[in-house]
Amino acid sequence: MKPQHFKFGLALLLTPILLWLTLLIALPHVDMAMISLRERVSAGTYAFSWSNYTAFFTEPLYWRTFMRTAVMSIMATALTLLIAFPISFYIAKVARGRLRPLLFLLCLVPFWVSELVRTYGWMILLRETGVLSSLLQWLGWVDGPVEMLYQDATIMVGLVYTSMLFMVVPLVSTLDSLDDSLIEAAYDLGASHWRVMRDVVIPHAAPGIVSGCIVVFMLTLGNYLTPTLLGGKDSLWFTEQIYTQFITRFNWEQGSAFGILLLILSSLIVWIGLRLSRQSFTKVMS
Amino acid sequence: MSDPVTTSFDLECRNVRKNFAAFTAVNDVSFQIPQGSFFSILGPSGCGKTTLLRMLAGFQQPDAGDILIKGRSVLDTPPNKRPVNMVFQHLALFPNMTVAENVAYGLRRRKAPRHEIETAVKDMLARVGLPDSGGKRIDQLSGGQKQRIAIARCLVLRPDVLLLDEPLGALDLKLREQMKVELKHLQEKFGTTFVYITHDQSEALVMSDHIAVMNKGRFEQVGTPQELYYQPDTAFVASFVGDSNCWRGTLVSRDSEGAAIRTASGLQFRVEGALENLQQGQEAQVYLRPEAVKIELASASSHGDAGAGRGGENCFSGVVDAVLFDGARSQVQVSLDHSSESISVALPQTPMFHNIGKGQRVLLSWAAGQCSCFPV
Repeated sequence: MKPQHFKFGLALLLTPILLWLTLLIALPHVDMAMISLRERVSAGTYAFSWSNYTAFFTEPLYWRTFMRTAVMSIMATALTLLIAFPISFYIAKVARGRLRPLLFLLCLVPFWVSELVRTYGWMILLRETGVLSSLLQWLGWVDGPVEMLYQDATIMVGLVYTSMLFMVVPLVSTLDSLDDSLIEAAYDLGASHWRVMRDVVIPHAAPGIVSGCIVVFMLTLGNYLTPTLLGGKDSLWFTEQIYTQFITRFNWEQGSAFGILLLILSSLIVWIGLRLSRQSFTKVMS
Repeated sequence: MSDPVTTSFDLECRNVRKNFAAFTAVNDVSFQIPQGSFFSILGPSGCGKTTLLRMLAGFQQPDAGDILIKGRSVLDTPPNKRPVNMVFQHLALFPNMTVAENVAYGLRRRKAPRHEIETAVKDMLARVGLPDSGGKRIDQLSGGQKQRIAIARCLVLRPDVLLLDEPLGALDLKLREQMKVELKHLQEKFGTTFVYITHDQSEALVMSDHIAVMNKGRFEQVGTPQELYYQPDTAFVASFVGDSNCWRGTLVSRDSEGAAIRTASGLQFRVEGALENLQQGQEAQVYLRPEAVKIELASASSHGDAGAGRGGENCFSGVVDAVLFDGARSQVQVSLDHSSESISVALPQTPMFHNIGKGQRVLLSWAAGQCSCFPV
């Protein structure tokens, strides 16, 4: 085959992904960045301005909402990791035969229904007249109905539940590639179970842990449905601020600025995380 | 229970048994290994040798029997507390640590003082001939060097017994030959008891003081390499250790010294030696080493008198069927004149055999005592 043919074929193959990236990712972001940097002077006239960005840092509500979202996302990521690691270790290293795909399927099954339906499921369980509340009353452990919705803990439960699969998949695949004899060798040389985990399993799983954490953190930070439905109007999630600016206030300039800031700040947090865990992005994502 | 007799053994197994569901992997195995010796367990894959080794290391619990190290039962001791260490088949060196960190790992877990660890690691690296590689990463080492580090990592802990799970399997032939000698030297230098499992008989024969041949979960024979090779106890040992010609025949007559065996194709020859289990008319399996057969060139016309039992000597004539040239291990396949049997014969390294080719007439002879017979 001539090189020209080859180049043409390559271009043809790359066209869909390039179209996808430019039309749906790059162009909207460029447009959003441009909108965020202007100010409405009068009807139909706009001027360049940083005011949308300064508003974020001067108005405590915006700034605090973002910090709260970031901290809660980090907590949700950490919780997800804590719960997913033993599960993944069990699937990858302990379970044998048909149990393995079965357990994996169990992690996957909740994702066959839409996030909306899943979240309504949680609401049916946790609301004042819900299953759990009725059960507690029936058991006589509480006197009246208990409202378990619209609390930070509820948001956390919902977020961890939604994120679980995205942590389990990379963890299982990295743990799967760990040679059992390395675990046995460390144990044979006198290491305790905890030391085997620390010296052999976790260093090997580090790329999977980090990539799982990045995915879960990004999904959580950008989640809209779960915090809104489970947290109610007090949830104060940053995506709700963006929604409010765009839809309720019809202030596209401010909303765009928030969108850009969310992108920059979340990238910054991921970068810091990579730095702290001494992992490189290329290694983690390969 | 630790009577003084058992304490001279570094390792002892008493009636060890292990089942996996209905399958018996290790069946009633007992053995004793004297201090400082090189003990090999030789067997085909699936014979249970790895299971046995893993029970010695503590990764698996026997269903019955006892394992004693220096006279003390270790059944209740987990692997990280047992005075045995294991060199894994693929070595299992920690890739996230340097060579020195790998060697120091066990000592660190024992919480030895830092300076003590440093001197011990340095000393051990020097003894395995890699004094300057402490700072290297594992993937910077060659296959043979990795091997030595894997052994150093265990020996630095001064275990009572070192278990080796076919560590030479992944090496190429040349390196394997070299490592065989090196392993034996290391074992002599350190005086540690080595338990080595392998399916490669040459590894076992070259290195071991004692070999146990294992088949279907049982020990067929335990002995020195010479005993296994020259006096196999069972048909399995005779066929598994070394090359053999194997015939199946019927015992047609016997006398005070030996017996005559006739194969289905009409080859009849004399055997002598241990024949206690064989009765007249019984079927027997006969093994003959290729190098036990004397070969002479014959002229094209001469027909040697095919016959058995002239003074305990079997003489046959035949025609060379194929020459399997392999340097010092060359063999010829000869089809015998008065039967359809074919026989492998080691080729002597004398000039007169250098030009031997297909169709060459040869005279073969072997002493009756060279055959091993086992009832079928």
